[in-house]
Parts: sequence; structure tokens; C-alpha cells
Amino acid sequence: MIVAKRKPIEEIIEEVQAYDKILLVGCNECVTVCEAGGKKEVAVLASALRMHFMNQGKEVKIDEITLERQCDHEYLEELRNQIDQYDVVVSLACGVGVQFMAEKYMNMPVMPGVDTCFMGVTEERGVWSERCQGCGTCMLAKTGGICPVSRCAKRLFNGPCGGSTNGHCEIDKNVICAWQLIIDRMKNLDKLEDYEALVPIKDWSTERAGGPRKVVREDVMQ
Amino acid sequence: MPLKEKIAAGKFIILGEFEPPKGADFDSFITDANLVKGRVEALVVPEMANAVLKASSLGGCACLEREGIPSVFQVCCRDRNRLALQADILSAAALGVQNIMAVNGVETRFGDHPQTRTVNDLDLIELIETVQTLSQGKDLAGVELKGTPGFSVGSTIDAGAAGNLLDIEMERLEKMLENGVDYVITNPVFDLRRFEQFVKRVDTSKIAVLPTVLLLKSAGMARYIDRNMRGITIPPDTIRRIQKAPDKVQECIRIAAETIKQVKKMGLAGVLISTVGWESKLPSVLNEAQL
Repeated sequence: MIVAKRKPIEEIIEEVQAYDKILLVGCNECVTVCEAGGKKEVAVLASALRMHFMNQGKEVKIDEITLERQCDHEYLEELRNQIDQYDVVVSLACGVGVQFMAEKYMNMPVMPGVDTCFMGVTEERGVWSERCQGCGTCMLAKTGGICPVSRCAKRLFNGPCGGSTNGHCEIDKNVICAWQLIIDRMKNLDKLEDYEALVPIKDWSTERAGGPRKVVREDVMQ
Repeated sequence: MPLKEKIAAGKFIILGEFEPPKGADFDSFITDANLVKGRVEALVVPEMANAVLKASSLGGCACLEREGIPSVFQVCCRDRNRLALQADILSAAALGVQNIMAVNGVETRFGDHPQTRTVNDLDLIELIETVQTLSQGKDLAGVELKGTPGFSVGSTIDAGAAGNLLDIEMERLEKMLENGVDYVITNPVFDLRRFEQFVKRVDTSKIAVLPTVLLLKSAGMARYIDRNMRGITIPPDTIRRIQKAPDKVQECIRIAAETIKQVKKMGLAGVLISTVGWESKLPSVLNEAQL
């Protein structure tokens, strides 16, 4: 999932301070799972904003809605008949949702309610960590299912650096060395010979380095 | 003497563009550069123009400075992060380089290493700010430097921009001025009448404008540029002149020299003469332009 974290309330207040009719839009997908922008977080933000404006003596209309997704036309269309009642939207979806909303409703200011962080997993409730950077050429088959692009601080492809100590990364002793994980896993899979093979220099053109990316599937296009 | 002092003294600045080699053999680079020693104010050394791998601008500048030829060091956002850029800028100062030119860099997908990861840690305005910060004796982390570099700072501007794009260029120019840019070099100029419209928008008393005069090599090259390069227009008469000329190389030299003379007549600060691989012909262009 895409992992996001809630923006500081002060930052959101600054975004919406000048407006009188605010629509807060949550997303029922990734940001709900990581507890940053689902229905519950929309309600919490709405309360905080109402309290802020009440303390200021300013009357502000604040409404809440949570869409199934904000990265698909059909769900964003659900706002079509009501969006004109507001003068600003705060989207608590990831950056994808915020942008898609802004593209769809060109005359409506759309503010982000969360900071989008990475693609990751729920390690335990309240702890999410990165697993994928979307580099466009997955090499997990060669690294025992552990990604050196997203999990090695230096994105190394041919084994650990000299900073790896007792299986931990030099950037933080709480971070496990990705290559330690890869080697352990290769041992378990009895595939250590794969680890010894040199990996060709990576082609980054499928990553963001090649510019904004697009996937086109003519076979599923209507 | 840094370029800004020469510009302030009212001298018509002649810059040449000298690409470092793709390889470790700098012999012809140095030989060709010596052919114009004393005839140009400085030689601009591009940092992997068009994202094609070459030896670095810093390496080229070091070779030129060793020969007593002033250089312009190109720093490029595309390939280096803020650590590497600052390190190179400090090293350039230590090597005697007095002029620096900040550029964005062409996207790597257009070069010969499209598999690379572009960096763009700093954008162009931030890079110019960085040069200024270093020139004030501190690095971007706010730590005091041992020895402060001093540069004449330049950048680029799109003289072919029109309409909204020109407005954006003018805003960018303002930001450059705020950050201490002394001169800007434009993309190649062939259509002087169109170029005059651009110059009218710039307060040349605040910033020196140096158009690039590109030495064409053939009518085919001229046609290609005219059709495919955004913001560059080559008048049909110019292309016809090359087509009809018995000595096409000489005609291209003549066209470049005429453009330089016209730029001088416009009262601009100077020119950058770009010879793209024909560096050995730069003396002929200077002769023809009576410089």
C-alpha cells in the first residue's frame, strides 16, 4: 500500500485559513489502512478544524466524506453534484488522489491533508515500513524476494557495503542490513550461488529518472 | 580577471565553447584552445552537453587554466547532488577558475546513457544560490569555509521563448539577478530581428546578455536545427546561402562572423561562439569577424 502520515494540524489550518466552506475528503484504501486519511482521520481533522475556527470566532462550514478511492474517475465523480457548495477541498488521500482530484475539478483548490511517504507494509499496528520504490524493473527473483533498491540505504546490488555491522545498517543500528537479509534468505533457499553472481549495472530508465511514467495496456483498453 | 570585471570595463566579450573529449586524450583540446589563446576572454567548457558522456567541465577547465587560458566552469544540476556540486565548485576555485556558469542539463534520456539516474538534487536557481552561499564563505550546511571562492557567475536563458514562456523566462531572470548572476548566455541566435524583440525585454544595464553564435556546418544541419530545435529559427536566406555557396565551410564561417558583428553593433556585452567539434575553425571565425 501507499503509506502516508497525517500532516501537522497547523499546516492544514494554514492551507484552509482563507476559506469558509471546506470539504474534507478521505480515501477508503491505503490511507485508511495506515490510519492517515480514512473516515476516522477525516472526522478527527474535522473536529480539530471546527475547534480552531470556533476559537477564532469564525463561522466555517466543514463537511466530511470518504470515497472508496481517489485514484479512479468513477469514485471522484461522486463529488460532481456537491463540490460547488465548497470553496476548498482537503484531500486526505495520497498525493495521487490529491492530484487526480485537482485534475478533475480544475476550478476547485485542492489541498493535501497527508504527507505521502512510500510503498510499504504494516509491520505491526502503528509501524509501517518501506518495501518498494517502483523502479519499474523488479529484480526480487534474484535477491530472494528482498529488495536492495528500497531496503539498502545505498541501493547496492552486489552485496553489503563495509558499513554493515552484525547484520545492521550503518545509517541506524535499528535498521537491518538488507544484504544480511538477502544472504540469510538465499541460504534458506539453498541459492547462495545466485548471490555470488555479479548483477549487471542497473538500468534506471524505468525508474523516475526517465521522466514521469505511464503504463499503457492496449489489451484492456476500452 | 573575472568576466564581470571585463564586462564592467565595457569590453566586448568573446567566449569560445570547447567541449572536452570523449576519452582521456586532451591533446587536440589543448592544441585548439592554444590557437585562440589571448583572442578570447575565456573558453566555456560544457558539462556533458546533451547528456552525452565526455570528460568533465572541471577537467577541461583545469587543463585550460594550466595553459594560462581563462575558463568558464559549467556546473550542472543533472548529474551531481549538492555535496558533489559544492566540492567541485571549491576545487574549481583552487584550480584558478574565476568564471562559473550554472545550467540545468539536458535530460539523460536524450543522451548516450539513458539508463542512468538523474540527480537534480538542486534546481538551477538553487544551484546559483549555492554558488552565492559559497562565495560568502559558507557551505549549504552553514559551516564556515577555509578560503572563500570568488566567481563571476553566469547562467543560460532561452532567447527563443515567446508569449507566456518568455514571461516565465523573464521571471527566472529576475530570480537569477537576485542571486548575483552577472551574465546570461542565450541559445543559438540566427534571426537577429527576432532576437532584438527578446533583448528589448531585458534590462541589459543590470545583466550582461551574451548570445550564442553557432557555427553551422552545412545546409542540412541548418535545416535540421530550424525544424527540430525549439526556440531556434534560422532564416531561409541563410540556409539558401550555404546551399548555393561554392565553399560551404567558408560561407558558414562568414555567416557566423556576420552575426557576431551584428551582435556587437546591437551594443550587447559579447558573444559565445560555439563551434561544436570544429574548434580548430574558431580562429577563422574570429579573423572573419575582425576580432
